[in-house]
Parts: sequence; structure tokens; C-alpha cells
Amino acid sequence: MECEYCDILSGNSKIPLIYDDDAVVVVVKDMVYTPGQITIFPRNHFTILEQVPDEIVSRCMLVADKVSRAVFEVFQAEGTNILIQNGLGAGQIVPHFSIEVIPRIENDNLNLRWDTKPLPEDEMETTVMTLEKTLQEMDQEILAGKAAGEKPILEKSEVNKIDADAAKEKNRDNYLLKSIRKIP
Amino acid sequence: MNDFLIRYLYKFPSSLSFMSELTEEQRKQWEEKIKKMSPEELQQLQKQQCVFCQIVAEKVPSKKVYEDSTCLAILDINPAAKGHLLLLPKEHYAIMPQVPEQVLKHVSIVTKYLSQILLKVTRADGTTIFIANGAAAGQRAQHFFIHLIPRKAGDVVIPAEERLVGLETAVKVKTTVEKKLLILLGGRKEIQKEEVRTQLLPELEMFVTSGSAKRYHTNKCPFAQNIPPEKKVTLLKEEAEKSGRKPCTCVSGKRIPLVKPIPGSKPKKKKEPLLKKISESKQSIILKKKNGREASLDDIANLFK
Repeated sequence: MECEYCDILSGNSKIPLIYDDDAVVVVVKDMVYTPGQITIFPRNHFTILEQVPDEIVSRCMLVADKVSRAVFEVFQAEGTNILIQNGLGAGQIVPHFSIEVIPRIENDNLNLRWDTKPLPEDEMETTVMTLEKTLQEMDQEILAGKAAGEKPILEKSEVNKIDADAAKEKNRDNYLLKSIRKIP
Repeated sequence: MNDFLIRYLYKFPSSLSFMSELTEEQRKQWEEKIKKMSPEELQQLQKQQCVFCQIVAEKVPSKKVYEDSTCLAILDINPAAKGHLLLLPKEHYAIMPQVPEQVLKHVSIVTKYLSQILLKVTRADGTTIFIANGAAAGQRAQHFFIHLIPRKAGDVVIPAEERLVGLETAVKVKTTVEKKLLILLGGRKEIQKEEVRTQLLPELEMFVTSGSAKRYHTNKCPFAQNIPPEKKVTLLKEEAEKSGRKPCTCVSGKRIPLVKPIPGSKPKKKKEPLLKKISESKQSIILKKKNGREASLDDIANLFK
């Protein structure tokens, strides 16, 4: 598999590199929506967002924020768009997860806005329900360690106890997301 | 940062939506008032006007999908596709540069998990994750949020297309941004490059020399690269010392001599081992076909091959 971004790192590409450290790389591509667009990607090869470890996702986002700030000031931009095209179906071209920072000014003739398709009320209701249900299922998988294919993180009795607790709270709380809730 | 924020708020007409309902004179009064306000007061004023803050406070109904102490994910009322989500921090921030690092970190991790759930539920082929900062970028509400849009092959969410602008433009962009970005990122970090690591490996204890030469060199030395392949002799450290040749400065690592390469004797290029990756990924595809499971994340990633 050929990866344009890994080529940049191995020095086989002329694409200019602005910044790199052990986790994140910042480059300027020559295929862009508008000149001034900057690309951020993780140093290690991951094809889609879901494969990237949490720390690296958040690090990429922090760097994207810094790039966005720099772009505001340097190009006198009036706005920025941050775009992740995740997966071939979303128009991702290079098979390496990346974040694009696109500087914007008023009337720049760049159309990045989608057409909206209003959903009927009942369909919205079912969408919410399926999403919530899947969220809970995912928690169960992680609880039992199935997702990682490893030993259960908790003993079965503990899982049952948590299940009971969760039922009490009428499924309000969410174990997986509790674990990523690191901020007070 | 504060200067920048104030300048930004002026450029962002919808950030104070009630302004459009005022007469010219009232607006001028307000503008005078805003100029005297501190950034904190400005933020407070914005917050009072913000629909999304009212959604967080449950004063306005919404379809909540996920909630924790920091952020909230709701269904977009004007979706681009079924399952279009908005992920917003509960605290009021108008644009991304205002969002504190801790919150941004948390929000990006939640984005990852929500995207994973969207892929599973909507059977999408991918997700588009989109943030607009400022009215010029198409931001319509004054609260920072992230769009998560499930995508199916062939649909159009981002109508614009990328075009080739040439390397010259790219280099110009680099030189313009580089300094500012490095200041913001707190300088360049030292990374342990592969070259440094390979020096520790025992096989680099080998040296090269030409049949008639009086000195021996490491493989990386420019002299070594100028030796024509047919005359090149590879020696172990002991052999090199016994042969009566003297070590080049490159051997002790003190100094690598600067020599122009002789045309015609090109240095060898290393090739990245790509083959291993391909065979592994193909295996996983074959496995999945056998098992007949529904599309997993790997399948989505494998669509590229």
C-alpha cells in the first residue's frame, strides 16, 4: 500500500514539512481547497480516525487548534474550517488519517456547506434510540473485554453489579464514556 | 489573544444576533458599549444570546444522544444526512481558539467514539468531521461545536473539490506560517531519528574502503559513497585496523567530511518495507469474507486497497 503522507516522512516527497515531533506532523499539500490550507496527521500510519489511539487524536486536535490560530493571524483570515474526511465514503483520498485546516475570508467562493435534508420527527426519534442503544452495547463489550479481545477488565460479579446499578439509574450513565470523562 | 478575540467579534455579525433587530442609532450605542467591555463581559453577553447554551440548560428542547460533565451531543435539526450529530462543550465558547486545551482534548476523544458509533449504526462508509470558526467559514451559531456527518459513497456533503496549486504555493505557505506556528507550539521538539538508532546496531561496525585507498570509512561517509561499486571492499573493524589503513574522521564520529558526490556514483536509496503491510491486510480481508461478518472498522480502512 502506498501512502503519500508516509512518503513525506521517509523523505521521498517534495511536499514541504512545517513541523514534526514524535506524534504529529504538519505539512502543506499541493492539492488543496484553497491556498493556505495546512494538513496535520499522526506520525504513525493509521488509515481512519477509529484506529488512532486517544492520546494521538487529542494531540492532533490540539495542534490543529494551534495551526488554526496561526492561520488567523498570519493570513489575516476571518475564519477557519477544520475538516476530517474519515473513510473512502467521506472523500478521503490519502489512506492516512489527517486533519485539514482551511483559512477562510468572506466571499472566497469556497463552498464547503452541505444541503440539509430535514428528517421527520419519528425518524429522528428512532435515530436517537438506536444511537443510545449502540452506545450502551459498546460499553458492555468494553466491560467484558470483548472489544479488545483480552481478559475481562472486571470480574463477572462486578459486571453484574454495575449492570444492576445502571438499571437503577435507568441507563442514564455510560461506562465507556465515564472512562473518557477525565475533566472535572 | 484578547485583542484578537475582540477583533474577531467585530468581524462576526451573527455573534450578537439581536444587533440586526436594532435601529442604526441603537446599534452604534451598542458598538460603543461593546468597545468598553472586557473580554469576560463580552463572553457573558454572548452567552445570554446563545441558543446552544439554552439547549445545555434544557430551556430549549433537543434530541440528546450523549452527555457528560463537559460536553453534549445532539442531533442536528437541519441534518446533512440521517445521524448528523453536533458535539458541543457545555461551557460557552464562540470559536475554537477560546476552548481550553483540556476541553478540546476531551471533545476530540468523544468525537472519535461518536464517529465509531455512527459508522456502526448508520452503516456509513465514513464520517465527515467539520468545524467552522467564524461567519466567513460558515458558522451560523455563536457556540463552538463539531459536526459529525455519516457518509455514504456518492453523496455530496462538501461541494468544493481540492485542486492542484503547485509546490511553489505550498512552499510560500510554509515560510509564511512556520515561524508563528513554532512559537505557538513552543518550539521544535527533538525527535530520535532512525539514523541515530541504527548506529547502535552491531552491523554498522563494518567499514568500507576502495581496493587501493589508504583510509577506511563508515557507510554513511561521502567518500564511501563515491567509491565505485566494483572497487568497494567491506571490512570488519578488526580487518580494517589490521590492513594498515588509517580511519577517516567519520569513523570516530567527530566530523563527517563534506565531499561533493561524483556524478555517476549515486548513493543507494533505502526502500521502506511495504510488502509486509499488504500481506497482513489482505489476510484480514480474506478472514472477514470467510466469517461473513458485517463490515468492521478494518473493512472501512481496507477499502483503500
